[in-house]
Amino acid sequence: MGSHFDDELTSPVEGAREAAAAEGPASPAVGRDEWVARHGERRLRRGGPLGTLEERLRRVPWWAWLTLFVVLFALLPVGVTDAYWRRVAFDTVLFMMLALGLNVVVGWGGLLDLGYLMFYGFGAFTYANLRSDQFDLHLPTLLVIAIAVVGGALLGILVGLPSRRLSGDYLAIVTLFAYQIFISILIGGDDIFGVDLTGGVNGILKVDPLSFFGHSIPVSKEGGEFNVAYLYVALVFFTLLFVALRLVDRSRTGRAWRSLREDSLAAQLMGMPVPWLKLMAFSFGAAVAALTGTLLVSLNGSVFPGNFDLTLLITIYAMMILGGLGSQAGAVLGAILITVLLELLREPSNSRYIFYAVLVLGLVAVLRVSVRLAVVAGGVILLGVLIRVVVDLVDSSWTGSAPDGSGWLGDLLARWVVEPDSVAPWLKSTAYISLIALALLLTTLRGWTRLAVLVPVLYLATFVWENVLAVQPEVTRYILLGALLVVVMIVRPNGLLGEKRVEIV
Amino acid sequence: MKGRGGLVLATVTLVAAALASTAGAGSSTVARIQAIKCSSTMKLAVLTPYTGPAAFLGQDQGSWANLAVKNIGPKLGLKFKIVAADSTLDPAVAATAAQKVIADSQVVGVIGPATSGAAAGTSQAFFDAKLGAISGSATNAALTKSVGGKPKTATAAFFRVVADDSVQGTRDAQYMITKLGAKKVAVFDAQEPYSQGLADTAEAVLKAKGVAVQRFSVTNTTTDYSAIVNRIDKDTDVAFTPFQVASNAQAVAVTLRESGRKAIVFGTDGTIDPAFKFPGSYVSNFGPDLTLIPSKKALVDQWKKANPGKTFSAFGPPAYGAAQVLMQATKKACVDKKGTITRQDVLRRIKTVKIKDWILGGSFAWSKKTNDPLNGSFWLFQIQSDGTAKQLGKIG
Amino acid sequence: MIGPALLLGLVPVAAVDFDRLFSTLVDSATLGSIYALIALGYTMVYGILKLLNFAHGDVFMIGAYIGLGILHLFGGAADPSISIWLVLAIMVIAAMVGCAVVGVTIERFAYRPLRTAPRIAPLISALGVSFFLQYSVQLLFTGQHRTYDTFLMDGGRLFESVIAWGPLDVSLLRLIVIVSTAGLMLILWWIVSRTRMGKAMRATAVDRDAAAMMGIDVDRIIVFTFVLGSALAGAGGVLFAMRSDVYPQMGFIVGLAGFVAAVIGGIGSVPGAMLGGYLLGLIESVTQTYITTQWSNLVIFSVLIVFMLVRPQGLLGRPDIRKV
Repeated sequence: MGSHFDDELTSPVEGAREAAAAEGPASPAVGRDEWVARHGERRLRRGGPLGTLEERLRRVPWWAWLTLFVVLFALLPVGVTDAYWRRVAFDTVLFMMLALGLNVVVGWGGLLDLGYLMFYGFGAFTYANLRSDQFDLHLPTLLVIAIAVVGGALLGILVGLPSRRLSGDYLAIVTLFAYQIFISILIGGDDIFGVDLTGGVNGILKVDPLSFFGHSIPVSKEGGEFNVAYLYVALVFFTLLFVALRLVDRSRTGRAWRSLREDSLAAQLMGMPVPWLKLMAFSFGAAVAALTGTLLVSLNGSVFPGNFDLTLLITIYAMMILGGLGSQAGAVLGAILITVLLELLREPSNSRYIFYAVLVLGLVAVLRVSVRLAVVAGGVILLGVLIRVVVDLVDSSWTGSAPDGSGWLGDLLARWVVEPDSVAPWLKSTAYISLIALALLLTTLRGWTRLAVLVPVLYLATFVWENVLAVQPEVTRYILLGALLVVVMIVRPNGLLGEKRVEIV
Repeated sequence: MKGRGGLVLATVTLVAAALASTAGAGSSTVARIQAIKCSSTMKLAVLTPYTGPAAFLGQDQGSWANLAVKNIGPKLGLKFKIVAADSTLDPAVAATAAQKVIADSQVVGVIGPATSGAAAGTSQAFFDAKLGAISGSATNAALTKSVGGKPKTATAAFFRVVADDSVQGTRDAQYMITKLGAKKVAVFDAQEPYSQGLADTAEAVLKAKGVAVQRFSVTNTTTDYSAIVNRIDKDTDVAFTPFQVASNAQAVAVTLRESGRKAIVFGTDGTIDPAFKFPGSYVSNFGPDLTLIPSKKALVDQWKKANPGKTFSAFGPPAYGAAQVLMQATKKACVDKKGTITRQDVLRRIKTVKIKDWILGGSFAWSKKTNDPLNGSFWLFQIQSDGTAKQLGKIG
Repeated sequence: MIGPALLLGLVPVAAVDFDRLFSTLVDSATLGSIYALIALGYTMVYGILKLLNFAHGDVFMIGAYIGLGILHLFGGAADPSISIWLVLAIMVIAAMVGCAVVGVTIERFAYRPLRTAPRIAPLISALGVSFFLQYSVQLLFTGQHRTYDTFLMDGGRLFESVIAWGPLDVSLLRLIVIVSTAGLMLILWWIVSRTRMGKAMRATAVDRDAAAMMGIDVDRIIVFTFVLGSALAGAGGVLFAMRSDVYPQMGFIVGLAGFVAAVIGGIGSVPGAMLGGYLLGLIESVTQTYITTQWSNLVIFSVLIVFMLVRPQGLLGRPDIRKV
């Protein structure tokens, strides 16, 4: 990467003007400092056409990107006619909103909120109670959503109050306590001094669907299929939310949050009302979660305590941080990636393609297209053939054919790798654990030892995949997700779209 | 969004959409009315938790359904395949999984949902899709019957092949009173629909007969029962533990004995499991001991061969039965409609199915009034000193 | 006037059910011991790395499974091929060793590359490891809940009373759990406060860079910390499974409890974790025995919130003094 010292350095004044022009009329007049600050960026910028392209793209305003994204998303149902995937798209939008909301609390406010789901649940149960036969109330949709959002914000302030006394991990645990209390109330809520507030473990059923301006939107079309109108409603809310959060981010509050996250002590010394800011962040995140809750329950037509299990929180955190903490686009990206990945991996044939694609790509990335790659690939194939021949001689029941539904790839592989009709449990465990151990060992090796170990490890990987992992795709996808999280964090600790933060010691 | 973020996001959306449309490019015809050829491989979806704390349900029901499809399909001259749909314990996830099932036009019926919450949540969708869902484990009475003046929570598309909580809870309570002579009973529930339904019914019956009842609603974060057992009166006769997870009942039994209390533990179907083996305890199960019935023992052996090193809970075999009913209904539809059927044809014929050689012993027929079995029976077991469960006979 | 009032005051004392009271105390000690063992792992790692090791609960779970494997290796609980007591000892040791290996591996491959990354990155890496472990175990061993069949061991000896002084009634199993955890914690305390390694650990926890400059091999100390913490979790897994069951998700709940215990004891403080564990056990037992079972979570967590508000740094945590 060459440094382009001489090409694009302009004089400070010109640079300042340029910077000010790029920012537009709203930019601060103190453009000089901005230009100086951007100096390092300019040095690191890529040269050539790619660099220019990147620079041009960077100038495109954010709302243009948002529009493009939303339009593309809205066009999804045109290409995707499968009701299941449309429903998955809806779920994804909900996750996007949740991740955005959590991003406000954790990414902008710097507060570790482990009780986030209680606001989600609050929104859902508020809607359910106000638009069902539970209390025989059928209030208008928009009113109920407004009540849920405001109520969520107030609850957020209440739960955020301990943030005045507690910091960091201690605050996290208190939010977790609050969440547990909330779940406890949900479960026992069918008899709170004789009032049935939450339906208890059986939840609240027969909740009204969304209804705007007198038109009720049914949750399913004829045939029980997901009504894509809900996807559009969710997209509308998402867009409004994104824009609202963007505007907040650009406002004084947003800047205050940023300073709070960087160094709360310094922020306090500068006169920022830190406790109030923390509460605001909490409250905002809670309001977003409550809004999302109303959408969830309106589509499902029912709500249960089981909808708000802690594993869901972990998923949202993973999405947000994978995408990049503090980045709105990152939260959205993380939500999409993880949801789509988890759903795709449900099908054994899909997951097979993905697994081998990753394997091959990884191999190419590490070894580059070279003689070494050919040697390794050839070695693996040879090894497979060899093992298969030997095993076939010993016990031909071990070289059976692939189970149905494996697709062309699965059939092809079944001819090459050993796939016994029934694998003994000890063999499964041994193969799996040795694969992990060897794969980890591989990351520490270099040179020809690495190549030598790589060959049997690749074969073992295929064996384990075909015989152990591909058999239970529901479980395997979480294993792969876990591995993905670790790898992504190691490769990009700031998440995919996160900004590198310099932590001042 | 900065330029980089926006571009990446747009690209990802496109790619995801492309993948999704290849993965799920279903036809635009609504699957409900789409014709299914009986000569093709039809699918039965198993909607049950495959991951999470109740993952053993997926393991059991999935494997028994597979067995049914292997055995019975060829006999009927049809080809069936099992499709797994993970509902987890979250009814919202179940709703999405239900969409997956509905969108797959080759699915003619659903085995499940396994949990009562998922059953209530997905029933309307299945009704609209005219897809019959037969559950082997969702025993909440309110699903098919009107309870407490409220309308039933599931639709006409929901069926179950095992009797519901109100029957089981009543019979168990009566047994405790009449045969075990209980004057004081500790009733547990695990704060989820299965155990709560049974516990509520049993408590009501016991109280009506003048038995002193202590009720314990145990949170799902409880791992040690000592503190709760400490509350139980020392002269309690029976501890009713209708848990889905057998090892919890075992923990209660062991802790009772450890604290010097003499209460006998009485469990339900979930506790028919190698993990529950406290001698002297009773278990009521919606199915008999299959190994005692020669024709069924062969099935068990077959299952064991297909699933080496594993054991199954009581919730497994009913899935076999549910699959059997669905396949019979499909066969009837195929015969009536001459080789091309729709889901509605299958749904309509479910209640006409009668099975002579029922997996749970005896014969099977539907109740006329509700989507429950006609004569739901329960069997009583007692745990012997070697930890095995010995069948004593029918209960109630 | 005072006399009868005093006598009246004695009535509630006489009405106190000492049996129940002592049982509660024993319960809380048993429960608390396990929580303390896990809390120690959390707190030691946090002290040195400022990392909340979410995978710690799953290490605990693996310990329980290792114990199960050993038990089956020797023929099971009812009829082992060698003395059951020997088997139990081997189970605990094997779990400790196995979990130490797992813990060190996790540190080496999932946390070490993230030493200089922002704090949230190793947190998500830990999450990923947790998923990986939990679902791998489910893949290989199914989600079925298994037990050690403890009451079959030696004809049920473990559940017989070993101490029976009036209201105090302790079964052999409880005694083993309480005493062995106390013993392990004592050994840990000795290591941390009396050995050179322990001193190095404490130094690294206070200021990692200064410790490095003083010639302490920080990497080795971190590995050592993980070895200690994971070994304790492994032992905890076996001891816990003796009274409960073994399944892939067990680490989640108990790990959470251990985490709570570590925080209320003051995260980063070793004696704090021990105390926090016992305190949590006490709160849980007292609530479920005396107050309510259905609403126990509500009460327990409300108490804990009040506790945290009253003492924000936990029992023995240092108040957060930040230098500018």
